[in-house]
Amino acid sequence: MTQIPAPLIEEDLIAYFEGALTSEEHDRITARLDADPQAQALLADWTAQNDVLQQLYPAPDPALPDRLTRALHQAAPPTAPSWQGWRIAVMVGMLAIGTASGWIAHGIARPGQAQVVLAQAAMSAHDTFVVEVVHPVEVAATQRDHMDSWMSKRMGTDMRPPDLDAAGFRLMGGRILPSDSGPAGLYMYENGEGQRITLYVSNQPGQSDSAFRFATQGDTQSLYWNDADLGYAVVGDMPRPALRALADRVYDQLI
Amino acid sequence: MTALNEIESHIPALRRYAHALMRDLDAGDDLVQDCLERAVAALPSRRPDGSLKAWLFRILINRHRDILRRTARAGHLVAIENLPVEPATPAGQDGHMALRETEAAIARLPDDQRRALLLVALEGASFDEAAAALEIPKGTFMSRLARARAALRTMTGRADSVRRKTHE
Repeated sequence: MTQIPAPLIEEDLIAYFEGALTSEEHDRITARLDADPQAQALLADWTAQNDVLQQLYPAPDPALPDRLTRALHQAAPPTAPSWQGWRIAVMVGMLAIGTASGWIAHGIARPGQAQVVLAQAAMSAHDTFVVEVVHPVEVAATQRDHMDSWMSKRMGTDMRPPDLDAAGFRLMGGRILPSDSGPAGLYMYENGEGQRITLYVSNQPGQSDSAFRFATQGDTQSLYWNDADLGYAVVGDMPRPALRALADRVYDQLI
Repeated sequence: MTALNEIESHIPALRRYAHALMRDLDAGDDLVQDCLERAVAALPSRRPDGSLKAWLFRILINRHRDILRRTARAGHLVAIENLPVEPATPAGQDGHMALRETEAAIARLPDDQRRALLLVALEGASFDEAAAALEIPKGTFMSRLARARAALRTMTGRADSVRRKTHE
């Protein structure tokens, strides 16, 4: 007596349907399909989904619109930091996590109201300004001296953005924002793939130094901490270890 | 082939994908233009390994995320989790209806599922290519794709014809 195999489920079928199985696995599923009308119906539905999507969004006219041709042939700017530098940065960052986690252990205390407010303000500022194409920053990094003196003056403390070039993130510039504790500074950085991160700094007088803490708001993640009467938040939309590596770099340069 | 020529060869795929993501040809081309400007500027610092095509899609998808975040903050979008899922009436007889229904259903998919589904459905990307473009593990991609296809079937009234559950 032959054993009747269990009905095929979506997990088996999705890889089959998308051609992601080895030919042996593929043949095994094909052999079971005959006896499984439900699986056949599911595959037919998925085929229909693809057909409809391809009809809705057909291949574009092969002639490119002028603006796309222009975008492609614009002069490329001078070279940005190389990827080798980026790789080294990640390795350094990974090493730093070991150091930082020991340091974090002493600050298990829950964040206070001021820190939570800071993290939320930092993430809102991030979400507001990273989408800007024309005016992502108020003062561009090309006017670095002007930016540093202006932001230092507004913040009442020496403001000097950390250098994240070695991590592949180039400083775009900065801006001043209102916050619950007076003017706050926001620096924006961008990597070669157009991913942006921000560093938010605000005065937090009287707050004791703290460990790194994580906060999230939708896709946006923040690592924030207090140090020497200032609150800092590094904000981005990336896996935590990557954000941590960047925060370590920021922390090391600000001390 | 120079890098610029290679980028150019991927523009039709980028345009098609962007058209579907934005559900508007012009808005899609805006996204592609933004992507190309960034890609050309970033070309000198690009990691030499990995597929150029996946890299271009990553740039496009990063920009798409930025745009959606801006729109969401303006209050025009509601996450699908917050909407009651009402299966539509079964389509099928009327081809035009099926198109409009699918278009509306695509609009209601969560963004991550929509990005995953369109990569394979329009461009026939392999799991590896699609996972690289979305910067997620292959297994995550596969379950995301399965959820997208299941949600689309529910929303277009097809879910009752086959009752399937995944292992989870």
